Amino acid sequence: MLTWLGAAWKRWKRWVQVSSDQLSVIGDRSAVSTHPQKVTGWRLFLKTVFARAYPRVIGQQREKSWMFFDIILPLGGVIAYVLVYKAIGAPAEYVGFVVMGGAMTAFWMNVLWSMSSQLYWEKEQGNLALYIMSPNSMMAVLLGMALGGMLATLLRAVAIVLLGSLMFQVQYAVTSFFQLLAVFVLAMAALYGMGMMTASLFLLLGREAWHLSNLAQEPIYLATGFYFPIKSLPFWVALGASIIPLTLGMDAMRQLVFPSGAKIGFLSVGVEIGVLMALCVVFLVGAKLLLAHMEKLAIREGRLTEARR
Amino acid sequence: MAESSFATRNLQPTTRNSESWRSFRIATWLGWQIESNWADPFLFAVYSIIKPLSGAAILVVMYGIIAQGNFSNPLFPYIYLGNAFYIYAGAMMTGVSWAVIDDREHYKTLKYMYIAPIRIPVYLLGRGVARFITGSFSVIITVLAGVLFLHLPLDVMTANWPLFFLALFIGVVMLAMMGLLIGSISLLLVHHVGFLGDAVASALYIFSGAIFPLDVLPAWLRPIGFIMPITYWLELVRRSLIGNVAQAFPTLAGFSNMELLGILLGLSLLFGVISILTFRFCDRRAREKGLIDRTTNY
Amino acid sequence: MASLAIETENLGRIYKIRGNKKEKQIRKELVALQEVNLQIEQGELFGLLGPNGAGKTTLIKILVTLLAPTTGQARVAGFDVVDQPQLVRPRINMVSGGESSGYGLLTVRENLWMFAQFYGLSSKEANRRIEELLTMVGIADRMHTKSSDLSTGLRQKMNIVRGFLTDPEVLFLDEPTLGLDVGASRDVRRFILEWLDVPPLPGREGREPALSGAKGEGRRTLLLTTHYMVEADELCDRVAIINEGRVLACDTPSALKQRLQRDALFEIETSPLNGLSAEALVSLPEVRKATLSERDGGATLNLVLVEEAALAGVINVLSQKNVRILKLSKREPTLEDVFVDLVGRSMEEMEKVGASEQ
Repeated sequence: MLTWLGAAWKRWKRWVQVSSDQLSVIGDRSAVSTHPQKVTGWRLFLKTVFARAYPRVIGQQREKSWMFFDIILPLGGVIAYVLVYKAIGAPAEYVGFVVMGGAMTAFWMNVLWSMSSQLYWEKEQGNLALYIMSPNSMMAVLLGMALGGMLATLLRAVAIVLLGSLMFQVQYAVTSFFQLLAVFVLAMAALYGMGMMTASLFLLLGREAWHLSNLAQEPIYLATGFYFPIKSLPFWVALGASIIPLTLGMDAMRQLVFPSGAKIGFLSVGVEIGVLMALCVVFLVGAKLLLAHMEKLAIREGRLTEARR
Repeated sequence: MAESSFATRNLQPTTRNSESWRSFRIATWLGWQIESNWADPFLFAVYSIIKPLSGAAILVVMYGIIAQGNFSNPLFPYIYLGNAFYIYAGAMMTGVSWAVIDDREHYKTLKYMYIAPIRIPVYLLGRGVARFITGSFSVIITVLAGVLFLHLPLDVMTANWPLFFLALFIGVVMLAMMGLLIGSISLLLVHHVGFLGDAVASALYIFSGAIFPLDVLPAWLRPIGFIMPITYWLELVRRSLIGNVAQAFPTLAGFSNMELLGILLGLSLLFGVISILTFRFCDRRAREKGLIDRTTNY
Repeated sequence: MASLAIETENLGRIYKIRGNKKEKQIRKELVALQEVNLQIEQGELFGLLGPNGAGKTTLIKILVTLLAPTTGQARVAGFDVVDQPQLVRPRINMVSGGESSGYGLLTVRENLWMFAQFYGLSSKEANRRIEELLTMVGIADRMHTKSSDLSTGLRQKMNIVRGFLTDPEVLFLDEPTLGLDVGASRDVRRFILEWLDVPPLPGREGREPALSGAKGEGRRTLLLTTHYMVEADELCDRVAIINEGRVLACDTPSALKQRLQRDALFEIETSPLNGLSAEALVSLPEVRKATLSERDGGATLNLVLVEEAALAGVINVLSQKNVRILKLSKREPTLEDVFVDLVGRSMEEMEKVGASEQ
């Protein structure tokens, strides 16, 4: 109680001091005339993360049509592929695989179109120069984008799972909630880490981000097993596809939530968790290195601020 | 006297007919310039080879897992060809409607197109021609891959080519008119309209029996498929290429080729009229609301 | 030396221009900046004046750490822009005219708040400053408008507020009034002056207490590029005239104009020139400089004469060529005249040359 009172008193005292300082200096033109306090270091880092996540989350609120398309389009894919399975007489759990895959495509679309290609768009808009010129770390900006995007997409993914499960009466049998949570969090961290890394890469490649994102859509749907267990692909193909965190993330999640899960697993859940952890580290370190490289190169060649039409 | 000083020379008066032709020709040329993928090996590979083949491969793997590698079931060519030719549906519908968005939001030229003496609907249809050509590459490559690697039972000697080309022609015109319909609605939508073409294309993918027979749909949803010309078009394309394999499914087996052709033609005309009327309506509303030169600005 | 806000030493920048696909082999080099030596004191409002393509924006990009120089060095707020960007960045900000940065779906306040966060301001402080600054530039009523719904001019004002919001020690304004109407430009100029006229940062005062309006250590510095002469003349303490990547002169506006004090400056409006060239006029005795700008149905001549008497010769030539004089006036030198004096051509003519070369 006493310490709380002491802290409150200090805060009050500081407030009085600050405001009286302002008053003595400037009269009524306070904003231009005073010098605001600025934080640095990890506090600036957190502020930046939060500030850059903000438009992502608020954009969701403001543009209801995004929500519509981001749910309806993947859901359309889910329905089409479920019906194909029904037409060819697939076992019931394949419907569940497709529903889960459909929900995860929402994250892939988000990473592809709003992370990987994002720095490119920021450059075209003139924001990238402002980011680089400001005292914050670009890692914080990217992390903010990732967190905001992840939160916004989580809602859509949940909606797809709910709607898909209701529509096709999917049965779940979760074996370990704890592992499921761990797999999901790791898969997301690695996936968005990958997005942060490819953001610099896309910018460096100089190709129009639009085409690169397009290139990485269907082939990834195929290779990462959005609509079928990855075990069905040749071993080396599946292993190669595991570089994309969704591959093992989805495989592990399927093993954990479907009754027949264990049979269709590519690797054991434990191994998959291990690989996902490694991917997290690789991608986040890679993001930091590539970002620094991109910034250096762009500043040397003067490619940061020009926009192409 | 300098003869062709352009201030003094009279321009030829144009008839309505030549106005349409000019609109179509210029739009085709422009679309060609914008879509010219084949000049760039990277873009050609991405859009005409990798994307369509990956899309087909997803279905192939799905089928392969369940059928345990038995590709001789007639369902396989049904799915494979339906998917391959549906590429045209995506290309034409999004191609024509995307022209509205692209010109308005990206190039900011829609307003100049509007005030030029051209006919906008014809112009929009012309913009779809380039998409038809690039789409054709994808379709051919996909079908070829099926024949070469997956034993797709397509026999060049026995296929009914006249029926195929007739159906293809009607179908492509029909798809372009559907594109015009979506493009017309896009005139009125300002936010994120870019996806409208995709949304419609992916919805119809489900309802037009492209990758599974309509019987798989719940009974109350099947009528949507039956009023869509795309359903009959895909059926005709399948029948003309692989004949009786396609007839192994009960949905449309009761119709003869000529009957199907008649239904396709009738429905195409109906949709053509609907899209022209829709264009007129949306065009008037868009001008009333001042949306022609509006940019969404994101 | 620590009191210099901006200091450049033999600064140069060469762009390598990659040819397009057909001419991949052809690699051109474009010298955008060469041997720029500037020393800008703290508290100065310094102007860079030059035609489009003179290298002003390149210089600013180097100073704000967005572009590395090819040769030479630059220090901003006491730190090297190449080696210590992390120390330069908290102390600067930049506003470029005619750009549309920010997120369209955020409101004006949200856009500004976000950028304030990047500089470490508390949300409360940021919001307070946003409100006041928006009021000062006259768009407080648009605070909750989505920035995509703003007109170009209003978005530019938002952009200007973004620059001032973070209280930089050195602020770079690249053509801040580009695309603004006359009234808005005047608002912005007034605002700039008000902003500069503020006591030093706490703890960074000079040895003596700063007097209001006096220059000195710790005071805010502003570097402005413009190609509007009036703007430079009216606002700047000192102006550097820059052309083809070189600084040709650097002094106070009045000192620059002093160079022309002994000359006589005339502006003559005439009927069409019938092929008369500037060279023909300059070849006349005691005519130092002549520029012509033709317009529909007439032309304007600007003459720098060593003596007033030389006017007679000019009028003679005009009447020989059947050119009628519609209006003749003697005028005071402007910075434009200084530019003509240094370069031999007007800024307008330089821009035309630059455009035709590209």
